[in-house]
Amino acid sequence: MIKKMSLVLMAAALAGGMLAGCSGGKTPQGDAAAGSGSAGQKEAEGKTVVNFWHSLGGKNGEYLNAMIQRFNDTHSNIEVVGTFQGSYAETVTKLQQAVAAKSGPDVAMLERAYVQMFADADVLEDLNPYLKKSGMSTNDFVAGLMGHSIFDKKLVTLPFNRSTPIMHVNKTLLDEKGLAIPKTWEELKKVANAMVVKENGEYTRYGLTMPYDTWYPIAMITQAKGKFFNDDTTSIGFNNGEGAKVFHFLKDMQNTGALYYPPATDSGNIVNQMFTSGKVAMMFQSTGVIGSIANTVKFNYVTAFLPMDQVYATPTGGANLGIMADSKNKDAAWEFLHWVMTDPQGAQQFVIDSGYLPFTKKMVESQQMKDLWAKEPNRKVAYDQLQYAIDTNKAIAWPQVEQEFFKAIQAIMYDNANVDSTLANFKKETDRILKQ
Amino acid sequence: MLAQRQVKTGEAPPPNVRESSAAAYVLWILGVLLKAAVILVFVFPFLWMISTSLQTFEETMAFPPTWLPAIPQWSNFVEAMSAGPFLTYARNSVVVTFSVILLQMLVMIPAAYAFAKYKFRGKELCFALVLLAFMIPGQVTFIPVYLMLAKWGLIDSLLPQIIPFISNAFGIFLLRQYFMQIPQEIIESARLDNASEFKIIRKIMVPMSMPALATIALFSFVSHWNDYFWPLVMTDSDSVRPLTMGIAMLRQTEGISNWHIIMAGNVVLVVPILIVYLFASRQIVKAFVYSGIK
Repeated sequence: MIKKMSLVLMAAALAGGMLAGCSGGKTPQGDAAAGSGSAGQKEAEGKTVVNFWHSLGGKNGEYLNAMIQRFNDTHSNIEVVGTFQGSYAETVTKLQQAVAAKSGPDVAMLERAYVQMFADADVLEDLNPYLKKSGMSTNDFVAGLMGHSIFDKKLVTLPFNRSTPIMHVNKTLLDEKGLAIPKTWEELKKVANAMVVKENGEYTRYGLTMPYDTWYPIAMITQAKGKFFNDDTTSIGFNNGEGAKVFHFLKDMQNTGALYYPPATDSGNIVNQMFTSGKVAMMFQSTGVIGSIANTVKFNYVTAFLPMDQVYATPTGGANLGIMADSKNKDAAWEFLHWVMTDPQGAQQFVIDSGYLPFTKKMVESQQMKDLWAKEPNRKVAYDQLQYAIDTNKAIAWPQVEQEFFKAIQAIMYDNANVDSTLANFKKETDRILKQ
Repeated sequence: MLAQRQVKTGEAPPPNVRESSAAAYVLWILGVLLKAAVILVFVFPFLWMISTSLQTFEETMAFPPTWLPAIPQWSNFVEAMSAGPFLTYARNSVVVTFSVILLQMLVMIPAAYAFAKYKFRGKELCFALVLLAFMIPGQVTFIPVYLMLAKWGLIDSLLPQIIPFISNAFGIFLLRQYFMQIPQEIIESARLDNASEFKIIRKIMVPMSMPALATIALFSFVSHWNDYFWPLVMTDSDSVRPLTMGIAMLRQTEGISNWHIIMAGNVVLVVPILIVYLFASRQIVKAFVYSGIK
């Protein structure tokens, strides 16, 4: 009985598959021929199609799609087709294989740390001539965000969705103890320790936290006046004690409960939840979370510069846009990019919607941005910190070096490995990778 | 919920103990509790997913976590499914998954039959090749496969998600083992009655190995339905993408993700698997029991 029934079911499933299978190969091609507008490199109704690959999902993806829609609505001769290609790293994989197969997009979003790699492979168009033609110059952009744009004197990308780490503060908790927002590492250590609550031998509140990421140690290395890579990118640039200082500082804080260093998996979500629920008083985290936190928390939430050791300093993050050298529609692609960079309905509106940083001087001076900052001063702090932006992890081999740096962070923060020997080992590995 | 039900059905049959032995009874209770604990470990993530899919954003952010939403937010499902062309994604998932299973069956059954019941030159080598294919992961082959299919102009169709999986090495391997257990005498007597090889497959081999076929089909279904990596690397546009890509798109790239929306999307993705599993589970248990006996 059972056998019979499952036989029938199986047959039904197979038959269904057969029918579907037959139509499967044809349907999408049929769609493409009909010019549905959603797929592929094709020219529909005399429009030039610009394919744009990006990595924005969730709300930010919706804001980006809205921006693309605004462009398409106002440009009758060009249609931009934005397609989500997975995370930043997945988009890189997709671009690599697409470049080889010559099936790549016209415009691509590149996480800033991967720009070097693609520029070195010569697959990104030099945007200087286009910029000149449109009467623009690199001076129109916020200097702190141009760190990954120029390679071999070529302008290979322009900033788009950019962020930095910043300090998020639960001011209500600090006020309870009459403490001011820390400006230096020393003050940070004091305030963080004062925030610690220990009940029955267990910490129920911590002072500071940050996601498990290379971004924050790099920020602190530059605050200690080190550089991640030295100027010739032949080795690390924090060998004069800056790196050891950073990790000793973090370990000291971790040992007293002043620092909660989260588990590696899903660390970003963990620290966000700890912060919004008042389990930790301060958090180093991307500017990208400002909007969500402000909407969620009931306490007095403010942002502040990352505290200084020798100097204020912060790396930048997020992604840039570039035109692929293989693109057949470069002029249309540039028309899109130019609109994005200059039109108030372009990136400016996207920045206002999403919470990313404004990246042209015109955006910064616009009335809309001033109104927004008057309403949300937390976002102005993020922009102001950009005057101290410095990106020192620029190397073609950065993705490999980053893996090694992650290993070092794990060893020190989780396994209590000796700071100095771990960093010495990391230096050795980095030198080896950079030599290749 | 499920855990409780399992405990109850566990109580229903008379415990396999002598009434006099209290120690055995304690052991039996312990066994039930252990089983319940194991079930809970497997069921909990599903319950957690469903609960989260019905919460508000504030509830998902709360710490300590929210167990049950105050008011179930069914609108999360609407929001998840209107975030992209979900109907297209769903259609693509169905077409790809069922086409793959069907085509696999067409190749796998004769292949397994040949490997199990025939003697021919180069059989060992051919079978070694099958095993080799079984052991090489997609991550190794995807770039050459993509380049080849791009050359053929197939990237904007569903075929790159179907063609590479027509031959299911694991399925051929498993089914061959199963076929080998079917007595040669049955096949011989069928041949004496002038049955064609095709008829033998259809009337003897396939009906007698239903549990194995159901298992293979289910594994295939789950792995292709849930596959993210292959469609990601093989497709460039939304019109040919499956549900998994649509759900990945719900994730916030930077900033705080809307977990309630993502989980609503995941529920939509998982429900078909649960339905198929309900139908196939008996056959699967059989398949494993049989192969256990030998």
